[in-house]
Formats: sequence, C-alpha cells, structure tokens
Amino acid sequence: MKRILLISLISLVCSGSLLAQDDLLADLVKEDSAKVKENVTIATFKATRIINMHSVEMTGEGNLQFLIIHHFGAIWDSKEGAANFARLFGMNGSYASTYLSFDYTPIKWMNLGIAWAGNTSMEGTAKFKLMRQQTGAKNYPVSIALLTTANFNASKQLETPNDLYWNRFSYLTQLMIARKFSDKFSLQVTPSLIHKNIISYGYGGDHNVYSIGIGGRYKLTEKRALTFEYARQLNMYENVFDKTGGMVNYSPNLISLGYDWDTGGHIFQFFFSNSAYASNIPQLSTNPVKDNFGQWSIGFNLNRSYAIKHKVQTH
Amino acid sequence: MKKFILTAVVALLVTSFLSAQTYKTRDGNIYFNPNKNQGNKEYSAQSKEGTAVLKVETSEVAFLVPMKSFHFNNALLEEHFNENYLHTNKYPNGTYKGKLVGFDKSMLAKDGEYKLNSEGKVEMHGVTQDFKSPVTLSVKGGVATFRCQFPIKAADYNIAIPDLVKPKLMEATPLDATISFKMN
Repeated sequence: MKRILLISLISLVCSGSLLAQDDLLADLVKEDSAKVKENVTIATFKATRIINMHSVEMTGEGNLQFLIIHHFGAIWDSKEGAANFARLFGMNGSYASTYLSFDYTPIKWMNLGIAWAGNTSMEGTAKFKLMRQQTGAKNYPVSIALLTTANFNASKQLETPNDLYWNRFSYLTQLMIARKFSDKFSLQVTPSLIHKNIISYGYGGDHNVYSIGIGGRYKLTEKRALTFEYARQLNMYENVFDKTGGMVNYSPNLISLGYDWDTGGHIFQFFFSNSAYASNIPQLSTNPVKDNFGQWSIGFNLNRSYAIKHKVQTH
Repeated sequence: MKKFILTAVVALLVTSFLSAQTYKTRDGNIYFNPNKNQGNKEYSAQSKEGTAVLKVETSEVAFLVPMKSFHFNNALLEEHFNENYLHTNKYPNGTYKGKLVGFDKSMLAKDGEYKLNSEGKVEMHGVTQDFKSPVTLSVKGGVATFRCQFPIKAADYNIAIPDLVKPKLMEATPLDATISFKMN
C-alpha cells in the first residue's frame, strides 16, 4: 500500500512538472501548427493582366484599380526607311492605341469594370473568381476565373446594314484556369468565345469566334518577371468577308512577350506584341497578318489600386 | 503514516494546480499603419488571430500571431507583405516570449489600470531581437486586457523596403497590440 502511494506520489510530481509547461511559446506554436489551415495561393500573377489578356488575378476586395494599356505603332516600318529612327520604335509614329479602365471589387469574388477600349469603343467587364488554388482544409490544384466583356462601338462612322443599336455590340466570354507551380512559375490556359452581333454577309460567316490561349510568368527576381502569352484563333480568320465585300485574311495568332516590374506601388508591364489593338475582342478576332517583326509593336500596362472600402479598424 | 502521505498528495495536487495557473486566449489583436501620414489608412493592416499565454506565478507571457492573418486595406500591399517583405510562406509566425515586470497576481483580482513593463524576445522574419516596452494592464469584470504600443524598425528584422516606397513610410512602424484574457 505504502509503495503504491509512493509511486503515485512520484508520478504526480513528475506529471505536475510536466503540466507546468516550461516553454509557453512552444505550447502556442504546437497549438498553431495543429490547426487545419487554408493555404490559399496568392500572386499567381502580379497583375490583373498577363500581358494583353486577363489573368486569373482580381483587384482586391474594396479596392479600385486604374489601368492604362498603351500600344505604340510598328517598331520598324519598312516604308519609312531611315525615318524609323525618328519614329523611335513606334513611340513617335502616327499610331497608338490606349485602353483606360476603372475596375472595382465590391465583393471578394466579383469585379466590375468600365473601359475606354480604343477605336471609339467602350467596354463593361465583369470578372468572377470561381476557385482559388489552395491546400490544407480544401485541396484545389488550380484557380479559376470567368470574364465576361460587352463592347459597344460608339463610332458615327460604323457602317452597319441598318444602324441598330444592338448591332454595335460584341461580347467576350473567357475562362481562365491557372496554376502557380512554384514561387517563380505560373501558367494559365484561357479558352475564349467572342460573339459579334453584326458580321459582314458572305459565305462561311460566323457570329462566334473561338480561340484558345496560354500564358505564363517566370519570376527573375522578387520584383521582376518575364511573361509570355499566345492565343490561337480557331475560326473566322481565313477568307473572311469584310464590310466592302472583299476577302481578307486575319492572323490567327496573338503572340506577346513581356517584362513585369513591380515598384512596390505600381506594376509596370512592358511588352512586345504582334497586335496593337487595345481591346481583347479585335485582338482575338481581327488581328492583321504581319509579315515581319518590324510590324510588331511595343507597349506597356500600368496599374494602380486604391483602397476605397476600409476594412481595417483602428482602436 | 497513511494519513500523512494522503495529506501530502492532496497538498501537492493543490499546489501543482496553483502553480500551473495559466491563462490562454485567442483574443490577440495587432494593428499597424506604416504610412508617414498616419491619417492615410491605405496601408493599414490588422490581425485578430493572435494567441497568447500568461503564466501568473512567474509573470511569463508568450504571444504568437500567424503572419498571413494580417489583412490590409489595400490588397496589393497585403500581397507585397506576404510575398516580398515578410516571406510568410517561409516564416509563418511572429512570436514574443518574455516577462511582465512589475506584475503581481493580486492585480487580476481587482478592477483597475496598472502600468507594467514587458521584457523578452520578438521573433519575426527569421530574426530574433530583444524587446522592452511599457504595457498597460486594465482589469475589468473578469477580463484582463494588456495593451502594448511599440515601434518596430523593418531593418532590424531584415525586411528590405524598396527605395521607391521608403519615403512614404515611417522609419519605425508603430504597432498597437491588445491581448485580452478572460479569467473565469
């Protein structure tokens, strides 16, 4: 009996000192690491655009983003000869197109935008985040977003068979499926559907234009990255009737190479692309055929976001 | 003899419970605004997911905050904080371990406000630094709230701020931490 009591006494002393938790912090760390967490992948891409095309990223909740996309003219116009030096790689030429947009994210998974989309057209965009790549409590291998765009051509010179209001609209629906493979490398696949309310009459005309795109990013340093994108149009690029009744060929390829520079406040994206259109709709449906790299152009995206809704409370 | 051992066991049980008197809480809150213009809340951030332990007998405290639990008004800043400044995938937690100087357990028994000091070590971004700061303890209705306002220099913790951003930020960011323990 005595022995039992003695043993229980000793064991109690031991357990007592164990319970005393000499290292309080170790206890907290243990508790924290035992929690099942949601490891949501962030920054699959640095900006809401890969280059020309939308990325799976969205402006943060309660934030307003101002975006400028600028495409200059052809970097080397063979007809201009030595005057190309004055043209400064298209920056001082006669052509430039600009895309200006404001977009706002009222709720976490939805972003709404309005844009001046070049060639006297205006656009409204709605982007929805459907899935976020994550591990932990839930396991999703990719992030998915859906983009819908409505483009309105406001030009007085637009010739349509009977100038109906609805004939001025075209639409883009895009699904973005992206995966951040590592801290450095991300890849996105982007199937697109463009619907035009008006097309020229003729054989083989189709209101719907399909394309599939791929885009990626490789980070060189924490703040600098190389980007690329390629989209291939699947129909309506060969022997298409234009509005005068003539036949035209469009380039089915949209190719761009870019360089991202994150300054801490803005994201600068410099790029070199075979399309100088401002909006994704002409980029993916009526991209002109270019014979040489001289007809490609350089451009940049510049964005800035502002916190409109303040979630953080002061004491 | 039997009686003596029994008494000893009981006494030991009681004292071990008393000495192991610790309070735990999930109500840890940290706020900071690194902006030079403190009226501008664009960069303000907050976490409400801090956890803490207080060991009454020894005045020891420990605090842990998951770095990813900081949310910013501007989401781009939050991304930079995680990806470029604090590298939160690699260093997921910020911790503090120290002692409350001038603390006595009798303070917890009576409503009131007390001025204390806390001394210990902060670990963040893989760097450990000595820490010393005044702390206010207010006890009210069975809740003990510790509030600590202290500056942190990014450079002390190996946090590189780009030159373009530097002029906009405070040299030392003022942090405001509040930790509440329910005592019953």
